[in-house]
Amino acid sequence: MSRLPSPGPRESPHGMSLQGIQEIVADAAESGTPLRIAGESHWIDAGRPVRANRIASLTGHTGVVDYVPGDLTITVKGGTTLHGIEEVTAKEGQHFPLDPHGSSEGTIGATIATGSSGPMAHGFGAVRDLVLGVEFVTGDGRVVKGGGRVVKNVAGFDLVRLITGSWGTLGIVTEATLRLYSIASSHATLAVSITDERQLSARLDNVLNAAATPYSVELVDAATARHCGLAATTSILVELGGNAAAVEAQKDALSRTGVVHEVPRQVWTRLRTADAAGTAVFRVSALPAQIAELWTNTQRALAGIEGSMIHASAGLGVVRCILPAASATAELLRRMAGENRGSAIVCERLPSDLWPHVSPSVVSDTLSQRVKRAFDPLDILNPGIMGEFS
Amino acid sequence: MPRLAVFPGNRDEVVAVVRALAADGAPFVPRGAGTGLSGGALADDVVLLGLHRLKRIISIDEKNRRAVVEPGVVNLVLNRTVAPLGLLYAPDPSSEAACTIGGNVAENAGGPHCLKYGVTLNHVVGITALLPEGEIVQLGNVSGERSGYDLLGAFIGSEGCFGVALDVTVKLTRKPAAVRTMLADFTSVDDAARVTSAIIASGIVPAALEFMDGATIRVVESSVYAAGYPADAEAILLIELDGIAAGVDADRDTVERICIEGGARTVRVARNDAERLRLWQGRKKAFGAMGRLAPHLVVQDAVIPRTRLADVLRRIREIGDVHRVQVCNVFHAGDGNLHPNIPYNADDPDESERVHHAMREIMQACVEAGGSITGEHGVGLDKIGYIDMIFSPDSLAAMCRLRESFDPQRRINPGKVVPIHSCQEWKASPAGRRGNESAALTGSA
Repeated sequence: MSRLPSPGPRESPHGMSLQGIQEIVADAAESGTPLRIAGESHWIDAGRPVRANRIASLTGHTGVVDYVPGDLTITVKGGTTLHGIEEVTAKEGQHFPLDPHGSSEGTIGATIATGSSGPMAHGFGAVRDLVLGVEFVTGDGRVVKGGGRVVKNVAGFDLVRLITGSWGTLGIVTEATLRLYSIASSHATLAVSITDERQLSARLDNVLNAAATPYSVELVDAATARHCGLAATTSILVELGGNAAAVEAQKDALSRTGVVHEVPRQVWTRLRTADAAGTAVFRVSALPAQIAELWTNTQRALAGIEGSMIHASAGLGVVRCILPAASATAELLRRMAGENRGSAIVCERLPSDLWPHVSPSVVSDTLSQRVKRAFDPLDILNPGIMGEFS
Repeated sequence: MPRLAVFPGNRDEVVAVVRALAADGAPFVPRGAGTGLSGGALADDVVLLGLHRLKRIISIDEKNRRAVVEPGVVNLVLNRTVAPLGLLYAPDPSSEAACTIGGNVAENAGGPHCLKYGVTLNHVVGITALLPEGEIVQLGNVSGERSGYDLLGAFIGSEGCFGVALDVTVKLTRKPAAVRTMLADFTSVDDAARVTSAIIASGIVPAALEFMDGATIRVVESSVYAAGYPADAEAILLIELDGIAAGVDADRDTVERICIEGGARTVRVARNDAERLRLWQGRKKAFGAMGRLAPHLVVQDAVIPRTRLADVLRRIREIGDVHRVQVCNVFHAGDGNLHPNIPYNADDPDESERVHHAMREIMQACVEAGGSITGEHGVGLDKIGYIDMIFSPDSLAAMCRLRESFDPQRRINPGKVVPIHSCQEWKASPAGRRGNESAALTGSA
């Protein structure tokens, strides 16, 4: 099921300039034409249905603006893909430690707009922790910058955090400065098998409290483990990185927590691409100490759904569910909410008719309305994607 | 001087005071401990709202590593309270013994260890905020993920211009298993700067990497805070590594090699906690020690890319020479966060004038190097005249509009951070401007 706007003019000339994007927005503002903002359109079916009949695409707005490896920062245009950033930085032995679910062909603009992160958020933080500066075009066609190109900066009010996760509704991200890290000289990927689910809570505690500072700690169910090329057993995947001595010491510490295997690093790539086209994806979250309970409740709610997968960033308290779109029903999501009182459900992709039942709006409060009016007074940027404003 | 100072003793009183001020349309300035270095808490001719009496640690959740605190809780008090649990609150500004968590939130405070652990923004997960019109809002989601706009992120670092934090939920961090504190001393500022850049470029992320120049070393060593720094050095680096013991020792060897190859005379590793704390004491009290040089001190705060340290420090020296002022550099070198400080006599108009010019030129040099006008002290009043060096009128106007979303009347902490003219000069949108231009063209045709 596609919820792309009905085919209309697509504004994506290659070699798109900032002025070009500004023109598109100014035109749209003048004529009151709502725009669907898109990067490579990989996540175009994420979020609530958008009322727009024109796509503003950043596919042509790519490339490195500034990269001084010694500063461990890079400035790129908004349409640059994560893979593109990886290629450039890997040559210098560096990486941008963000691994959002989906394809690495997604753009940095979309990653920032959707606030998407993956398992490495455990060790490196989420988008809001890794973006140092942004440039964006507001709904009335202004070019605005927040933050800067240095790693520490408190000048002015924080437009970087404001734009991160705003789903394109406050501005189109045209440029971003990112914090980079060196690629560690040594890595190890471990899988801790959970053969008896009753041990889950204790095992998680042991892993999370071990003398280790992992990049990622991801709990996967049997179906997800199988998808990652592992034995079909609930497992805790742990990614370690650092100098050789640090990695060895951490492996030792973790090996004392249960049955631990070293597994190929590709499990992470496979996990990243677990959500196939046509799936519904949502996350349930709670305080980290409640993760085992949240996991058990989620498994119970999804039991018997053919093709479902569950994985969780255990240290962050987030369980992520992937299931065939046809199995995602309002009743199921109500059951999820009922099983997990006090936790938050954040939906990534859902059949469009489900949104109003599950999460009609996350921006209906007065403060969000005022912010929206300040940056996109005509409501032409991705209208509807976060819900209605009143 | 404030027109009136109010010191509420609990949350209900804060709410009542702010609502009364709202009813009167009275401007006011929230204040924590008043340790800020950019004049952000000055309340000339308006009402001062002191929050230091709200100093309750409301709860500590050891398992989830969270604490909920009132805004007046002193940073170090929180740290001392959670230390027996093997936990710490990572942001550690040099004023940690006095500054409050509410003030840290307002300034998005950092400190030496934010090089590895991040600033306040990275350690606060929720805030109950009282907006200037009296409405109470919950920002962030302490028990799970955020959805909707990151208004928590916008609030942190808003320098008291968006509202008053009634309570703050912070993340606590596990104490590292091993810590190694090293002191490297140099006979040349350039060498120390280049070694800093080389350590960062090596990919090792030290917990802290601090720089002190010769002038600062000597004033610290002649004060009660003497830390045993070599008084004949032209620069020292205080480098702290932490993490898994085996890994930290490997990194220590690498850092030591970089220092020696880069021209360090000696590299000393603190043998125990007492020695470690003494090395840190000298650094943290350096601003205070400068009181020995002159009656007044300008503490400046700017950021530059870390590859530019040597040339910007050279430029700062030249600026100091031209204006005949003494610049003492003591700063967070690892993240390029400079603190060029000038001791002077503010009662001497000529010297004050020279200090003012030197500061402006130093700021200009940092901006030209690709930097920012403040890394942790905030814009406040002090740097409001510099902010258009780095932001366009449209960007400043956008910041104004964000502020007005929280405070439509710009009544809380008025006149700070963004100059008032940036808020008033909200020009027609580009669409509008273009419309006017084409109308003009049509008219002339």
